Amino acid sequence: MTMNRNLTRRESLKWMGLAGLGAMTGFPSLSLGGDAPSGHIVVVGGGFGGATAAKYLKRLAPSLDVTLIEPERRYITCPFTNLYLGGVRSFESLWHTFDELRDELGVTVIHDWAKDVDVEGRRIQLSGGESLSWDRLILSPGIDIRWGDLEGYDEAAAELAPHAWKPGAQSRLLRRQLEEMEDGGTFVLVAPDNPFRCPPGPYERVSMVANYLKNHKPKSKILLLDAKDGFSKQGLFMQGWERHYGDMIEWVSRSNDGLVMRVDADHLEVETEFGTIHKADVLNVVPPQKAGFIADRASVTDASGWVPVKPRTFESQLVAGVYVIGDATQAAPMPKSGFVANTQAKVTASAIIADLRGLPPVDPSWANTCYSLITPDWAISIAGVYEVYDELIREVPGSGGISPMDVGSVFRKQEAENARAWYAGIAHDVWGTRSLS
Amino acid sequence: MNLFLKRSMMAAALICAIWTPPNASAQPSWLQAEAIQAVLQGAAPIQPGVRLDIPAVTQDGSSVQVSIDVDSPMTPDDFIDRIHLFALDNPSPELIELSLTPLAGKASFTTRIRLDQSQTVVALARRSSGEWLAAARDVRVTVSGCLSREGTYRSEQLMQARVRVPGQGRQGAPMEVRTLIQHPMETGLREGPDGAIVPERIIERFEAAIDGEKVLTAHLHRAMAANPYLLFMIAPERSGELAMTWTEDTGVAATERASFEILR
Repeated sequence: MTMNRNLTRRESLKWMGLAGLGAMTGFPSLSLGGDAPSGHIVVVGGGFGGATAAKYLKRLAPSLDVTLIEPERRYITCPFTNLYLGGVRSFESLWHTFDELRDELGVTVIHDWAKDVDVEGRRIQLSGGESLSWDRLILSPGIDIRWGDLEGYDEAAAELAPHAWKPGAQSRLLRRQLEEMEDGGTFVLVAPDNPFRCPPGPYERVSMVANYLKNHKPKSKILLLDAKDGFSKQGLFMQGWERHYGDMIEWVSRSNDGLVMRVDADHLEVETEFGTIHKADVLNVVPPQKAGFIADRASVTDASGWVPVKPRTFESQLVAGVYVIGDATQAAPMPKSGFVANTQAKVTASAIIADLRGLPPVDPSWANTCYSLITPDWAISIAGVYEVYDELIREVPGSGGISPMDVGSVFRKQEAENARAWYAGIAHDVWGTRSLS
Repeated sequence: MNLFLKRSMMAAALICAIWTPPNASAQPSWLQAEAIQAVLQGAAPIQPGVRLDIPAVTQDGSSVQVSIDVDSPMTPDDFIDRIHLFALDNPSPELIELSLTPLAGKASFTTRIRLDQSQTVVALARRSSGEWLAAARDVRVTVSGCLSREGTYRSEQLMQARVRVPGQGRQGAPMEVRTLIQHPMETGLREGPDGAIVPERIIERFEAAIDGEKVLTAHLHRAMAANPYLLFMIAPERSGELAMTWTEDTGVAATERASFEILR
């Protein structure tokens, strides 16, 4: 394995220890010999994918001009917002800045919205009126909501029945509603069909909400209405729910009439496929999703609303020179997770530099670990390593796995510690920031 | 270039890659599959008039939603009388056969199937004149790293059916009916916890009739998803009662009834 020369040995060890598998597998070895590549790489989106891509482009090839476009001056992570909702972590601890990218790595950071992309002219337009040309474009736009796909659920409805699936004002709104809910109320979460951002996310969310309600409003109930018949880490979640929350959480599968067809946000009611009406005191709708808006403007999405990519490089299958990473892509069996976006960014940064040098991309390897907290001291996880096989992405046979069933509190507590260490490590890898709590 | 146009051309290119219009020299290879030929018996399906909607990539092969919609006036003189669905690389390719009458109003249904691996899914539809129509789609099946699946079947719910029929409709306007029955659809291919094969046990037949007049009959095979689901259409001329019967291979049956009113 070849590490970047700019990393000191001490830093490397720290970095490997914290970011773990992802740092090692997501960063293919790359010969740093030959001419320094030149060109302007524009990266859209300052999250786990985009910020990592900008950072590793500059680390691998400081001669490149790299511009990062991100509207927010403070990036809020989606991972761990459930802990904020559960009252076990401050909102501020999820904030990260772009100081390291700008001041230490020499990335040009522009805080603006990417508004349109001219793929033939290789230019991107920003809301503020600026227009930039690129040699290679990386889009890491995350998700957008498919407003209107679920009857009755539009932007106005989300002000009454928040999705809180993109962190920010929506997360604060949902937290405030939980705080204002009476003891004995019902929290209803509507979970979507695949694919969607963060497959275990809805289930961690009800866990963290249950943690809050158990401690503050113990007579309350949680109803999870699901568009699916199964979900990520299901056995582990259900075992944890029973142990810690008794019968507080009720999961309704699609086959048990869990598919919500209509939302009435004014009355906090939902109607299921077979006509059952459920009334909520707090209604959290995780709606159907698609690739972030700018992917559509760049013509890289297909009829599914997501972005098909070439497996080795994550260059768009539809538009040459445009690379897409993170939740916006069709990268199954890799899940839509922050960890995956981070390793995809490293593979793609290396592939772009190889391409600029006229070299073929190296064989990629990506990794994922998703921790989910059921209580602040009881966590479960799933991990996997991915490769290209027969020109398709697959999970390396035997590489991954999930936490064992039926283990005690010492094991689960260690996983909770690992989850917090993972967050600190990956935040440091992506933004160079340390969380505040 | 206009983006929409470009997108449409790409979509067209994708469809062409899968469907090659039949001619003497180039028949799509899926037409030669044994299960397909057993139904067609040498007949060559004519131009595509079948819409087959199924996700190109699916993260859970244990329950994949598929919709079939065939262009047809559904009049007594010209209607779709049969629809067959296949997954060619499943251990047994047959999924479901539907037999329809003009009372359906629309040759359209949605169901959920199992896909053992990435493969081609084929729909055949027969017009009352005897001509066959066909469509095929390639589906990639991945099991997402975050989507490991556990068995969730509860035996006390066995054979419990749900139905949803609009209480009111208009004459000549097809109405949507949804129904689902709780059933594990044991394939006979799975090992139980004791290592022994769990014997095949499936729902094998579904019938829908309005006041004794048949709308639709379906034969289900073992690769239909657990908790068999059907969404289909009815276009009754007058108010009445829809009866739906699910029958297990043991002979046990469950019937649900729903009344509706037709406004003129």
